[in-house]
Amino acid sequence: MSDDNPPEGFLRIDFDRDRPVTFNTHVGTLYCKRGTKGTRDEFVLGFRVHPHMCNPAGGLHGGMMMTVSDLVGTMGGGTLVGLRKFLPTVSMTFDFVAPAQRGDWVEGRAEVVRQTRSLLFTEIALTVGETRILRASQIAKIPSGEGQTFGKARLDRSAEVAAKRPPA
Amino acid sequence: MSDSSSVPPGFQQLTATGFAEANGPWFEKVEGSRLIRGFLPGPQHSNTHGIVHGGMLAAFLDSLMGSTVFHVLHRRCVTVRLSIDYLLPARVGVWLQGEAEVLGRDEQMVQVRGRLYGPRHDVLAGLGAFALLHRQRVPKIIRS
Repeated sequence: MSDDNPPEGFLRIDFDRDRPVTFNTHVGTLYCKRGTKGTRDEFVLGFRVHPHMCNPAGGLHGGMMMTVSDLVGTMGGGTLVGLRKFLPTVSMTFDFVAPAQRGDWVEGRAEVVRQTRSLLFTEIALTVGETRILRASQIAKIPSGEGQTFGKARLDRSAEVAAKRPPA
Repeated sequence: MSDSSSVPPGFQQLTATGFAEANGPWFEKVEGSRLIRGFLPGPQHSNTHGIVHGGMLAAFLDSLMGSTVFHVLHRRCVTVRLSIDYLLPARVGVWLQGEAEVLGRDEQMVQVRGRLYGPRHDVLAGLGAFALLHRQRVPKIIRS
């Protein structure tokens, strides 16, 4: 979406790469920022709140918060521990701490609590600026063997590439 | 549910806005105190593996549980906490429905249990705490 105006460093996540639209694309647009390893910004997911993400009261729908934090846990948590597999969610608990509204820029970060051979325990926070709007904890399954990769998701670097291109 | 690839008889389509509209249509059937809600998952509800996205399931169950509170207690509410266990995957093109039950309440909070299930198996189990809004109050989020 052109009016998302993501902060510096965020790139659109291209989940489907010209294939039919799946849920992650349908609810979005979702963005991702990668930062220095070991910092809280190592993996950040972000999105701008639009009407199609809102509840009848005009605030960000809880379903959207849950969708994004699920993704932050499996995709972000997996990235933090170096797993490129698709991790199916086993269990999640969400605390809806505060509302967000149309136009807000929401960010999601994960913290890995523990990784076992078959499970990944993460804590997830969604924030608007300094305000935390959702706290979640997740248990995801780590499939044995190679497993499936995380779909075809990749970061759309076309804007970044265009910016770096020397003026003609 | 003889034909699981279509909306079963007796279900009415809900009018919706925003997130619910974008991810609908959702259907409802009322049988006395029972409120049953369902939807037919399409490709737009799925992840890249052809199963229904966990976020979509969570959103649908949350909405169903909140609506059950309104159906049973005639009070509007907001979700404070929701805990969800993913039991088995739900498939695209296979009708999915759910119902919820009010377990307990006081003046401020309601405890609700909910589940989603397909024609063959349970998909999702949820337990939630919802805060009741005052009778006259409409949730207001947009700062004026």
